[in-house]
Amino acid sequence: MKALKNKFVIAVIVCMLSFMFADLLVAQQLDTAGLVHPSKDSWPGYHGDYSGRRHSNLTQITPQNVGNLGLAWAFQTSQNATIKSSPLLVDGILYFTVPDNIWAVDARSGHEVWHYTYPPNKGEHIGQRGVAIYKDWVFFVGPDAHLLSLNAKDGTVRWNVVVADSSKGYWTTEAPLIVGDHVVVGVGGDLDNLPGLIKSFDPDTGAMQWEWDVTPPTGTPNATTGGTTWMPGTYDPDLNLIYWGTGNPTPVLNGKPRPGDNLYTCSIVALNPDTGKLVWAFQVSPHDTHDWDAVETPVLVDGTFNGRPRKMLIQASRNGYFFVLDRTNGKSLLTTTFGPVNWTLGIDKEGRPIPNPDKEPAPDGRFIAPDEGGLTNYRSPSFDPKTGLFIVDAHPSYSIYFAKPADGDYGWAGADYDLWGKGVLEAIDYRTGKIRWTHELGPGGSGAGVLTTDSGVTFTGDAHGNVLALDTSNGKTLWHAGSGSPMQSSPITYELDGRQYVVIGTGGVLFAWALPENYAQSKRHTAPNN
Amino acid sequence: MRVIVGRMKISRSVAFLVVAAGFFIYQSRQALTYAASSEAPAVSQAAQTSGAVSGTSPTHSSSPVEIGRGVYQENCSFCHGREAQGGETGPDLTRSKLVISDSGGDKIAEVVRNGRPDNKMPRFSFSEQEMAGLVAFIHAEAAKAQTPEGGRRGVDVADLQTGNAEAGKQYFDGNCASCHSATGDLAGIASRYQGLELERRMLYPAHAKSKATVTLPSGQQITGALAYHDEFTIALRDEHGTYRSWKASSVKYSVDSPVNGHVDLFSKYTDADIHNLMAYLQTLR
Repeated sequence: MKALKNKFVIAVIVCMLSFMFADLLVAQQLDTAGLVHPSKDSWPGYHGDYSGRRHSNLTQITPQNVGNLGLAWAFQTSQNATIKSSPLLVDGILYFTVPDNIWAVDARSGHEVWHYTYPPNKGEHIGQRGVAIYKDWVFFVGPDAHLLSLNAKDGTVRWNVVVADSSKGYWTTEAPLIVGDHVVVGVGGDLDNLPGLIKSFDPDTGAMQWEWDVTPPTGTPNATTGGTTWMPGTYDPDLNLIYWGTGNPTPVLNGKPRPGDNLYTCSIVALNPDTGKLVWAFQVSPHDTHDWDAVETPVLVDGTFNGRPRKMLIQASRNGYFFVLDRTNGKSLLTTTFGPVNWTLGIDKEGRPIPNPDKEPAPDGRFIAPDEGGLTNYRSPSFDPKTGLFIVDAHPSYSIYFAKPADGDYGWAGADYDLWGKGVLEAIDYRTGKIRWTHELGPGGSGAGVLTTDSGVTFTGDAHGNVLALDTSNGKTLWHAGSGSPMQSSPITYELDGRQYVVIGTGGVLFAWALPENYAQSKRHTAPNN
Repeated sequence: MRVIVGRMKISRSVAFLVVAAGFFIYQSRQALTYAASSEAPAVSQAAQTSGAVSGTSPTHSSSPVEIGRGVYQENCSFCHGREAQGGETGPDLTRSKLVISDSGGDKIAEVVRNGRPDNKMPRFSFSEQEMAGLVAFIHAEAAKAQTPEGGRRGVDVADLQTGNAEAGKQYFDGNCASCHSATGDLAGIASRYQGLELERRMLYPAHAKSKATVTLPSGQQITGALAYHDEFTIALRDEHGTYRSWKASSVKYSVDSPVNGHVDLFSKYTDADIHNLMAYLQTLR
């Protein structure tokens, strides 16, 4: 009788505990572990993982079967803004944005779960790169330099804090980076002479934890302002360093009021995420006068370089240079161009380009390669570990830059005009900077991000709106679909219900591609190794 | 084993249950406690209004220019600059022929509504009031740019006179004369175009057409103006003006783009070459 009573008590206890903790069991609550080691059914941050390689170890889609890829569903936003955000997938829900808008979409049905609209505001509506998620909360920036935290279940706002004063000319567009209990956010705003900055906020309360300023304050003699920080950085959990790119100095095209290197504009910086203190900095464009932000993804790669194992950081930068750095100390391992560049006198002993004073904007114009949009821009490159290839959307281009005294020393302070450009996907061997293969993408340039997978497939888009699957080993086209608008975002992939999806936003539509359902199932049951 | 709490003897299981319950209640309360924000905006869960790439909602009676300033700063200033004089990739609107010839928005509104997809300008859906304001603002900025106050900006014809016409003629004869003639196709070119527009066309005439020749499996050849070309499709307008397209992998084709002669020079030009060429071309009136 006693034994039975004990068993009964235990059964009751188990039931009660299950009931009380049911919520926690069902909702996985994205935490630090889920961000450091994302599960295959998630894409929990802008880059997918902290490395920025945008490389997936999913292998269901292969070079042999990708020709069978079809549309699983499409979600139409029914509005004009082009999707520039990298969607997130957490617990079967996709989250993506355009300025002032967040959509939560059921990744199985492609239908809306909720839609949040930020109230009308005067911020710069140039773009929105996506949200961040931590535990049950979504983090989102409005165009007017505000940071919001919303309930991931239904989009209700928990708190809203100011990142910077938008009336001064600051705006925000990026996906925040979550590191531990830090929500890290940067700013945009180079139409005014403003210091760039990075801030960290408490994810529960929105209280600011630290601020790192890119330049001295406005008005400091002979110093620069600028250095916007508008793309999410990457993070090394072992070194506990966040890596962030900074933008161009202001005034933009007139370098005379700001002699010198203009630290830390156009730089890659390593900060301690707990304190915001600068640990090292490498300047990609000393004394830039062409608006070439160095905010492109700082991709973290562990591999060999000159025969030695190295923890590296690789950036294909807007100014036309490909940089490989040692990410423990910021020292240059390799600096080389990855397309036409005509504005430098060479590379200095620190591995930094030396700007040619004759190629600074002038009253009668200077002919510059690349153009102001740069040899590449914010959309993600991808690093494929198997081939050692750094694959980037490149934009060989030419332009004319003008600046004269009448243009003043505030904001743009000049004018630049694009002449010509095209798009070409380049697969760069990181160890040498040599381009192993290229794939033409069309006149004007593409601007699509790149995703690679362990099975050797590269996903990207061309200038005409085609979504492409290429063979990572040689760049040949294996599959395509005409999406109707050139991709201005970066692809993601995940596995859900045993099926691998590739999700790509073009124009105002989010497309989910997958192998036919029957195909995936039959392969699972018949082939022992997919 | 029994745990002794106060004077009660309870089983270990029950003790664990009590602790667990307490822990769970504590967690729930944490999640429910929201730090109050100093500026919580009204949460709008309303369905997305049709098509608008957001704009201000003018609620009070501002002048059209003031309304337009707000619309412009949020949506246009990034590319076209704070004062519409050009910025990140967007042209100087204050010197734009289209803006100068616009009357009450008849031309500007169309560009704004349709965008310029080839030049990466998006389209915008503004209300009538917003569009009227935007047009008024752009015209106001264009007028302001004409006044000497604040310094005239943008690229004047006078800015582009630093070259040597004789050196330009030599460069032309050596690099351009294989396709162009000063007395032929380029006669009077400087009467048709001046200043920056002339220089841009000189460096890269974006309007230049390409020709495509498609050879069908039958051997039949069709030639026409190239209409579309990507990896997968080739299309042209034939001699009758009919649009015809083929799957690229099913036909043989060649594309003749004389404008590539300009692209080939990009890696060779010095700035002096360009200024000298401009000086020479400006003599062809």
